[in-house]
Amino acid sequence: MSDATAPDDVESDHDHEHHHHRGPGYATPQAAIEESEREKLAYVMSLYAGTDVDEPDFVAVVDLDPDSETYCEIVDRVEMPNRGDELHHFGWNACSSSCHVEGLERRHLIVPGQRSSRIHVVDTKERRNPELVEVIEPEEVFEYDLSAPHTVHCVPEGKIIISMLGDADGDLPGGFLELNDEFEIEGRWDPPGEIEMNYDYWYQPRQNVMVSTEWAAPKTYYPGFDLEDVEDGKYGRRLHFWDWEDGTVEQTIDLGEEGLIPLEVRFLHTPESTHGFVGTALSSNMFHFWEDRETGEYRAEKAIEFDAREHPDWDMPVPPLTTDILISMDDRYLFGSNWLHGEVWMYDISDPSNPRRADSLSVGGHFGEIQELQGRELTAGPQMLQLSLDGERLYWTTSLFSTWDDQFYPEEAERGSVMLKADVDPRKGTLELDEDFLVDFGECPAGPARAHEIRWPDGDCTSDVWQ
Amino acid sequence: MATHDVTLEWPNDPTRTVAVDADETVLQAAERAGEALPYGCRTGACGTCVGRLLEVDGGAAADDRTDEERTVDVDDAFAYRRAPRALKPRHRDDGYVLLCVATPEADCRIAVGSQIQSELVDNPWK
Repeated sequence: MSDATAPDDVESDHDHEHHHHRGPGYATPQAAIEESEREKLAYVMSLYAGTDVDEPDFVAVVDLDPDSETYCEIVDRVEMPNRGDELHHFGWNACSSSCHVEGLERRHLIVPGQRSSRIHVVDTKERRNPELVEVIEPEEVFEYDLSAPHTVHCVPEGKIIISMLGDADGDLPGGFLELNDEFEIEGRWDPPGEIEMNYDYWYQPRQNVMVSTEWAAPKTYYPGFDLEDVEDGKYGRRLHFWDWEDGTVEQTIDLGEEGLIPLEVRFLHTPESTHGFVGTALSSNMFHFWEDRETGEYRAEKAIEFDAREHPDWDMPVPPLTTDILISMDDRYLFGSNWLHGEVWMYDISDPSNPRRADSLSVGGHFGEIQELQGRELTAGPQMLQLSLDGERLYWTTSLFSTWDDQFYPEEAERGSVMLKADVDPRKGTLELDEDFLVDFGECPAGPARAHEIRWPDGDCTSDVWQ
Repeated sequence: MATHDVTLEWPNDPTRTVAVDADETVLQAAERAGEALPYGCRTGACGTCVGRLLEVDGGAAADDRTDEERTVDVDDAFAYRRAPRALKPRHRDDGYVLLCVATPEADCRIAVGSQIQSELVDNPWK
């Protein structure tokens, strides 16, 4: 069932405009759980950037239908026109934030090149055989004194906003680039100078708030992770809370030494909530943030911490490096990955100020109990996560960023990434590795590929926002 | 127009020599010659295309990366059309050069391939 036909099944008597569901996505987060079918395909960012494989990066189409003969196989590859893009994160032209906009479809994937600053548009009308339809060349992006595109969110009325981590020189400040519904650059979304560092963002329109995080200047993180740059203050540790309508920063919170490198940031899905979480990757802490209703100011507090571990082959304790997090569509669980340790975990966040560890899996990475699946060595730990809309299947890939992979898991370049899956019981709060599921990106015809962000054709737990 | 011969050395592969014109970068000349070098941003910000200078004009090399034995500075051997922002001073001292923005000013030999990039940073905890 496509998004375009979904509304016929969900006629609503509610008079609230957001329930007149004529466009893409779902009327509410709960509707996404109830109405979605099991994900049968995944789109996965796949890359050769930074290796000697003389091929462009590609969007992999992975078969997730257990009844299919090609289950767990890459059934199509949409190759980019150039080499060296470093495909990384991507997003849709439209999601549930436009669910009341008739005629708009969730159909086009916006696929940026993190290194190249080239922005691709892929038409997924044929879900198993998507097609590259538009390319915005880096020179067009540089004209707005921006580079290094990262997070893509669609915003109501068909607009697309992309977080940009650097200026045209790969230095600071970054900002946000806005595309129109014809996939042309509309301009800069934010007035220059609101922020210096940028990374991920999420918006909660009913609360008129957007939150953005900080990695570093592209010229700092592109070549690899240098601890001296942390000591020199070249990595981020702040959260920026924006006035969503005005596009201006209203409040900045410095997370301090315990909040180094805040990366993925998620508001709860319910549009009523001002609560959210951010994973500070280097400090390996989860911060909970929320609006203090008395003062109208946002507050952030460390809510979960993960400890470094001694490793016989390492001189210093190994930090977990909590590189990705996501919130289940029912807002009950926070999932996350400890990339260096080799762990995925789920915490009960039904009381967001007091997360409660529900379960975890020790797999891959430098400490994982499971180091091999179906005879395939796993090497790197769990990294980018994606959860089924019903919250019952968690998938992940293992590449972080080509240059950082080379530092911490050099084998990833030689063997390629894997995509793995765990079955989740959201009633019992448990995770179980599905040992029958393995997608081996090491088997790609041109050579072993890295795999990064994952999306489903009908929206997922990190794509959709509700007005 | 001055053209310089640049010999590209991959590990475990035959070396290739390409003639680099004064108005092009090493990366552009390699592409013209059908030699695939790694690259990313093509503006000098990301370091994916980095090579390591081994020898200039048959003279001394940065090969062993000890200052005493080097006689040619990498910054004298190349003209940059944009600043090599991805490189720190220590990288430039060690002979690293960003091939996407560098034009040679002498014949030289350069170690190339994706493993050169991974020499720029170590695992800081291991």
